[in-house]
Amino acid sequence: MNRTPKHHPTESTLLRFAAGRLPASHALVVAAHLEGCPACRAGVRAAEIVGGALLAEMPAAVMAEDALTRALARLDEPASKPAPPPPARDLAPGVPLPAALRDLAVPRWRWMAPGIHRIALDIPGAAPGERAYLLRVAPGTELPEHGHEGEEITCILSGSFSDTTGTYGPGDVAEMDEEGDHRPVADAGVPCICLIATQGRLRMRGLLARLIQPLVGV
Amino acid sequence: MNEYASPPAACRAGLAGAEALDGMTPDDIAPPASPDDASLVLAIATRRDRAAFVALFSRTAPRLRSWFMRTGLAADRAEDLAQETMLAVWRKADTFDPNRASAATWIFTIARNQRIDALRRAGRPLPDADDPSLAPAEPVAPDAAYDVAQAEQRVRAALLDLPAEQAEVVRLAYFEDRPHGEIERSLGIPLGTVKSRLRLAMGRLRARLLDRDAPDRPMQDQSRVGGRP
Ligand SMILES: [Zn+2]
Repeated sequence: MNRTPKHHPTESTLLRFAAGRLPASHALVVAAHLEGCPACRAGVRAAEIVGGALLAEMPAAVMAEDALTRALARLDEPASKPAPPPPARDLAPGVPLPAALRDLAVPRWRWMAPGIHRIALDIPGAAPGERAYLLRVAPGTELPEHGHEGEEITCILSGSFSDTTGTYGPGDVAEMDEEGDHRPVADAGVPCICLIATQGRLRMRGLLARLIQPLVGV
Repeated sequence: MNEYASPPAACRAGLAGAEALDGMTPDDIAPPASPDDASLVLAIATRRDRAAFVALFSRTAPRLRSWFMRTGLAADRAEDLAQETMLAVWRKADTFDPNRASAATWIFTIARNQRIDALRRAGRPLPDADDPSLAPAEPVAPDAAYDVAQAEQRVRAALLDLPAEQAEVVRLAYFEDRPHGEIERSLGIPLGTVKSRLRLAMGRLRARLLDRDAPDRPMQDQSRVGGRP
């Protein structure tokens, strides 16, 4: 993603990301965008500074009497060494896997519908109803018109798609809330690969649910 | 006592609770991280300095406990997470880089990640590796001219300068999982108003971080968000 993104997460989403209040799957999509977007990294950093300021203003609570003793007793516990980061790899030729996904199991592409393949991601800490997918859409493929009952956030990793709101290219983020309806079409050229997180188990009528429901009964 | 004597209690206690930002001016509030916090973390990083840890713990753990309770955790859970955060500070001290963030910002990111991690572990086991999706944001401007202390001070000053209604929605975002919906309900203001206040506030904070004038309009093209404005 060498291109500077043109479409960004909303300020609210960046703030929730920095505050640690985004669902795990959505945070992953934001993290993928941040890798290529200095402007949004600045927004997140500003919100982290605010977090530090709010934390510093908290009243001092009374800790348990032995709190410090217990902490000191644990200082010499051997710290579990973080595993070395897995090597970089490609999701498709010329499309590196975002660093945010490197620790995840990323299985093979599976056929989903004509022109559409997907990889379902297993996100640690995802709440019930949260889903994250990689989607690969052949050039020119039109996705069914759909609405959203939960929030959906998408980061384009390769290729592009267009709908009535514009064209989305590598690094761009599209956010949809429950009131939106759209009918994206993958642009000509290379396949459009994107990372999508959705939310909302029972009421979900989102893009992926529409596509997947009849096929695999999600 | 040790060489890192605690600051006076009045100074340590900070400002009380959720209303702390309202009506304050930059002169009313000491910088959240006294320079000592950074020195203490560096002493831990370079010398495994237990006295520095004791000083940092006494000053920081009680505020962390309040913070975790404010985010909705029960008292015993908050106590545990304050402990875990301080241990993480001890273990990760060598990753603290004062050229990238103040100690206050760095400790906040550790506390935030500890909380996320704990909530995720509650559902299922997690590998102990650091989750890259939780990594702190990279340095804002990787050039030598970027002065962390000044940049962070500008953001804190901008926070205090925000109109009260903007500061309020920003602050609530740290303590509510669904800030829009929750704020809409608790403040009785329309969702669109909440969103525009957040957008204005974040635009100002980011602009001050980058030492620009606050934009009248959002600094950049937002992604579309379907539905109600
Ligand atoms: Zn961005």
